[in-house]
Amino acid sequence: MVTYLIRRLVFFFGALFAASVLIFILIRAAGGNVAAIVLGRHASANAIDALAAEYGLDRPLPVQYIDWIKGMLHGDLGRSFRTGESVADLVVSRLSISIPLALSGLILGLIIAIPAGVFAARNAGRPVGAFVGLLSQIGIAVPVFWAGILLSLLFGVYLGLLPTGGWVPWSVDPIQSIRSLVLPVISLGLILGAVMTRYVRSAILDVMNQDYVRTARACGMTESQALVQVGLRNASLPIVTVIGLQMAELIGGTVIIETVFSIPGLSRMILANVAAREVIVVQSTVMLIIVFVIFVNLMVDLLYSVLDPRTRLGQ
Amino acid sequence: MRLNVSLIIGAILTFCAISIAVVSTFWLPYNPNLPNIPNRLLAAGSAEHWLGTDVLGRDIISQLMVGARTSIVVGAGGATISLVLGAIMGLIAAASGKIVDETISRVADIMLSIPGMVTALVLAATLGSGALTTIFALTAFFTPSFTRVARSAALSVLQEDFITAAQLYGRGRIFILARHVFPNIAGVLIVQFTLYFAAGILTEAGLSYLGVGVTRPGISWGLMLSEAQNQVGVSSPLAMWPGLSIVIVVLGLNLMGDGLRDVLDPKLSKSIL
Repeated sequence: MVTYLIRRLVFFFGALFAASVLIFILIRAAGGNVAAIVLGRHASANAIDALAAEYGLDRPLPVQYIDWIKGMLHGDLGRSFRTGESVADLVVSRLSISIPLALSGLILGLIIAIPAGVFAARNAGRPVGAFVGLLSQIGIAVPVFWAGILLSLLFGVYLGLLPTGGWVPWSVDPIQSIRSLVLPVISLGLILGAVMTRYVRSAILDVMNQDYVRTARACGMTESQALVQVGLRNASLPIVTVIGLQMAELIGGTVIIETVFSIPGLSRMILANVAAREVIVVQSTVMLIIVFVIFVNLMVDLLYSVLDPRTRLGQ
Repeated sequence: MRLNVSLIIGAILTFCAISIAVVSTFWLPYNPNLPNIPNRLLAAGSAEHWLGTDVLGRDIISQLMVGARTSIVVGAGGATISLVLGAIMGLIAAASGKIVDETISRVADIMLSIPGMVTALVLAATLGSGALTTIFALTAFFTPSFTRVARSAALSVLQEDFITAAQLYGRGRIFILARHVFPNIAGVLIVQFTLYFAAGILTEAGLSYLGVGVTRPGISWGLMLSEAQNQVGVSSPLAMWPGLSIVIVVLGLNLMGDGLRDVLDPKLSKSIL
């Protein structure tokens, strides 16, 4: 177990290091003279040098990289060129929108996927099972932003029940804020649910074919009893993995759905800052997201080893 | 062999989409970028514009046809390059010693743990938006998966007796990989290719919707949806056609991939139809 833990931790930090170098190079390589771009064409050479000096952009890249990482480790994510606001403050205010959105989407996805996947697996080979499977295949093929557009047309434009977009801050009117999140969460949840239904279905199918489930059936348990009492712990393994794998999908979906419904979350902030060439804001925010995803993957691996002792022994 | 419904439906849908994309290279009903203000926002079913026109009077069918071409070129392009790179890396990893194998595998793991959509935004910002950037981004996300799949498939083939026989016969390592291992993992890679082709189309549509993928004068279904959303309410059918096109093509490719998997490896039959 200790070796396993060490291996996972080494990988975790290796991945963080590699990702941070990659992001730094990607964003800086194309940045050109960042200070000149930020100040525009009419800026004097003095002003450009002054801005570069103020933000440390005139130093060698490796020094800038190390400073950036040091800052991140101390919770200092840098400041915006234009407004001088601290990136940490910007991110925190946006997260109060993006986290509830993404998390509710994931939960709705699971609420759809687990019963639907179990149902499809129990009825494999029958028309009803195939029908659920086909629905999930169609759901996988629907782009999340199209689902969002259609839902906002139906519930926003035609029925007038919910806002088609926009955002009211939590502090102003929480009920309105929740109303603004309903359609984005449903769009995200439906599409994630469709994707996860497939994984749940094949996880349950695998378990149903195992000897221990057959033995439990032979001992007089009904199929449902066998699945719940014997199979669930085993079937939970692939499902935990799926949640880890869906992180990237979830973040990608949240990025797009925030645009569909003009919700000023984290991804809208990244998009706006990419356009404005705010390299420091972009590199710190993107890095934060990557840290989060890699951390979730680490947690999934550790949870996996708790649930299934076999993984600790093997390679 | 039992007829595989998924495979047949998927292959038909995919064939139709590719045919439309091919036709669009030499024939289109109208110039898809030419505004025609007197005919703007025609409803579907008009004699000259079967699916109507958009807010600038541009013909919808012509735009959908070019959109099919964009989707297929970008999706297939990204999946093909990833397939080639991934197969090479996977074979090298499987056939080499522990150090090379570990290095390739860990790099692939790290690449897989980086969320694609966010990185694509950064790439678009640095390389500029466009079809080529999108293909590049897809290659970066998909190659690690192909590498993993190729590696584990190749490892199990390398255990087989006929490989030992070939080694005893004095065949070189590269000859064995090319002549014996690759043909045996090709099936798995083809299935993977089909599924990532579909994933590539979805990603391209998403990036173009966000405005960091294909931009005018290029045409993409995602771009059409983003334009349609700005005048949703005025003419909601505009938001239907590109979305339906994406669903049909992606569904076709995924069904085909599922069907192929069942045909190539009947033991693992998990297809839904």
